[in-house]
Amino acid sequence: MSTINPPTFQIHYFASASTYTGKQTERIAAPLPLSLLFETLESMYPGIREKVLSTCGVSLGDEYVDVLEDGDGVGGVVIKEGDEVAVIPPVSSG
Amino acid sequence: MSSSTLSNAQPQPQDEQQSSPIPLHLDPQTYPRTTTDPTLNTHIHLTYDPLDPTSALSKISSPNAGANVLFLGTTRNSFEDRPVSQLSYTAYPPLALKTLSTIAADAVTKHGLLGVVIGHRLGDVPIGESSIVIAVSAGHRGAAWRAGEEVLELCKEKAEIWKREVFVDGEGEWRANRDRDAEGRLVQG
Repeated sequence: MSTINPPTFQIHYFASASTYTGKQTERIAAPLPLSLLFETLESMYPGIREKVLSTCGVSLGDEYVDVLEDGDGVGGVVIKEGDEVAVIPPVSSG
Repeated sequence: MSSSTLSNAQPQPQDEQQSSPIPLHLDPQTYPRTTTDPTLNTHIHLTYDPLDPTSALSKISSPNAGANVLFLGTTRNSFEDRPVSQLSYTAYPPLALKTLSTIAADAVTKHGLLGVVIGHRLGDVPIGESSIVIAVSAGHRGAAWRAGEEVLELCKEKAEIWKREVFVDGEGEWRANRDRDAEGRLVQG
């Protein structure tokens, strides 16, 4: 018996975000208004907003998006099924 | 009855694995990943293999160039006097390649460069080996020196690549470049 796959998007975690979630990637139910992304992650990983996300950027596809100024989600960006999202902590190349 | 329950439960770990395979950007088999702009003569590469400075220099060589600057960033064996046993880098190529290409293109325009190479090694990098290579060429040394430093600093500030240092005591920490300046001094937030 195969279960029906609900629509999801992929979210990747790096560095401190990966450590906090214990994951490198996972799928989350789509669609999801971008403005609710941090709230959703906070419900899954209590404390992540203050300890990790407050210093992170977020990308959707290969573009950065502004999660905090996206407003109340009405008319804002919506993460769609199959989209690729990444949580980008402060970088440390070189 | 109980055996039926067990057999139903068994596929779950497998399902979980299938729903979260290793993402492609963490699979060394999907590297090297490169971006080249033949017009600007910029070459970006992310690789799990050792970096090759000779190859980097050959890419930017030009009869019009009077100056070729090569920078190799190598992994250091300590952080704040704590011995480091291992360093490992992770990248998110969809953003990192784009960011590095923009840095290279902007440097060509701003400094009139004849070529730029930015290469970064990923995965475990043994102490003393190169994690980043920058090579730039220009007609004269002033532009090449300035551009080389500027490109490196912009990479460290912006490229979507992360360094994890594992200390000899086994503890590991993700590093953040914004905490340190070019002399390794702590930047006050």
